[in-house]
Amino acid sequence: MRPIIKVENLSKQFRIQPANRPAVRYDTLRESLVEAVRSPLRRARTKGKPGDDRIWALKDVSFEVMPGEVMGVIGANGAGKSTLLSVLSRIIEPTAGRAELFGRVACLLEVGTGFHPDLSGRENIYLNGAVLGMKRREIEEHFDEIVAFAEVEKFIDTAVKRYSSGMYVRLAFAVAAHLNPEILLVDEVLAVGDASFQRKCLGKMDEVTQNGRTILLVTHNLSVIPKLCERAIFLRQGQVGFCGPAQEALDCYITAGDGSPADG
Amino acid sequence: MVSVRSSHRSEELPDKPVVVIERAKFWVGLNLRELWSYRELLYFLIWRDVKVRYKQTLLGASWAVIQPLVTMIVFTYFFGKLARVPTDGVPYPVFFYTGLLVWTYFSNALINGANSLVGNANLITKVYFPRLIIPSAAVLSGLLDFAIASLLLAGLLIYYGFPVTVQYLMFLPLVALATALALGFGIWLSALNVRYRDVRYALSFLVQIWMFVSPIIYPSSVVPEEWRWLMVLNPMTGIVEGFRASLFSKPIQWPALGYSAMFTVVLLLYSAYAFRRMEKHFAELI
Repeated sequence: MRPIIKVENLSKQFRIQPANRPAVRYDTLRESLVEAVRSPLRRARTKGKPGDDRIWALKDVSFEVMPGEVMGVIGANGAGKSTLLSVLSRIIEPTAGRAELFGRVACLLEVGTGFHPDLSGRENIYLNGAVLGMKRREIEEHFDEIVAFAEVEKFIDTAVKRYSSGMYVRLAFAVAAHLNPEILLVDEVLAVGDASFQRKCLGKMDEVTQNGRTILLVTHNLSVIPKLCERAIFLRQGQVGFCGPAQEALDCYITAGDGSPADG
Repeated sequence: MVSVRSSHRSEELPDKPVVVIERAKFWVGLNLRELWSYRELLYFLIWRDVKVRYKQTLLGASWAVIQPLVTMIVFTYFFGKLARVPTDGVPYPVFFYTGLLVWTYFSNALINGANSLVGNANLITKVYFPRLIIPSAAVLSGLLDFAIASLLLAGLLIYYGFPVTVQYLMFLPLVALATALALGFGIWLSALNVRYRDVRYALSFLVQIWMFVSPIIYPSSVVPEEWRWLMVLNPMTGIVEGFRASLFSKPIQWPALGYSAMFTVVLLLYSAYAFRRMEKHFAELI
């Protein structure tokens, strides 16, 4: 069996602000000009030593995911989980390494991306669907299902800014749940709605996996990991700490103790 | 989840990866094929911009007419009746309205385009799609306003008894040219705006200056012959004069228009490549 996701030595470097420099976000031309003059001087002073203001958010991450597998990604805050998903979603570019995806990808880094408060529920379903990569025909096909799943039938032509926050996230999740790619990259979106809607979401995730979809799931909610995933990756300071059976990955994370896994 | 294909087993995986992720090489292509495959998203983003604009405003689409109409009335009084700006024999209202119609469309498209990436930061940090779609949608969404405001122009032309000539055929190519020019600047400035937020502030001021050096409130014929070439260096001169000539049955200044077209093509190509080079950093900078 061949993997559907193949990640080899994927690395991502970010620039951070060292303490001896004012916080510059390259926001204005003036700062950039000042920076252009200063940085060669500074480089000369630090004897050309590069990398003192850079960190590796991901370093040589390699793993493979088989078709139909649900792979969890766990780790403390700042371990690189979200960076990994962003790189695999092509939102940010890796500094080094390579990843190959053998299928159509959809990423769900948050629910309701592209929702506009002034548009109605109906309009937002189309807009959000298009943003997430659905064709108009697909959205039309699933429209009634989405509305029913979100339980917002009565308010479908109301502007979403008039929705309660629960209705809003239900609608947003409902659109996302009807995406139909081979590979789904998911970040923390299960944590929406009240308890009964969360159960519904988990049920939907289960159903999705039954259909043989491949899912890479980032979550802090450790209790869902053994329920949904066969295997998991434990990330630690941008590197793969462990990759294997979900329960072992969890144990690894908990015993590593470099974060607070208590929020599960 | 009804229409799930069972193509997930490994024997049915494609031989070549659908997506390869690695660091981009220095030279990036425009990747027009990918852009084409996202045309539905372009449509939805244009649709969103138009819908939201009309929903949020009380007067909705009438703003498209009110803005150039009121400016035209003011200009007709001050520059026409008081200052007596020569207009090559064209009645003041229709002369000013034509210029203002084109300028309002162009400047709004340009400004909306330039601010589009920053305004859509939430999309850029959360989903992948060719980023060129965002400034393109912002520029193109001005076309509807332009079409609505053009209806009033048609009324003015009929009222003042301008004959319909074969030169009217130039109207659409000229709209396309103005759009492409706004797109060229909009794409480039939107990318620059991600890095330098100065763009936003500089632009509203520059656009104002630009209007005064373009033949909007005066015809380029008022400029002395020996300085005319300087006027024509501004690509909007050829376009605005082109609109007037084609609607008022005057000879079209082909050299000026040809220059504008060439300028636009070069700018559009440059902007698109510059944008593609900068776009990989958008999500980190925005």
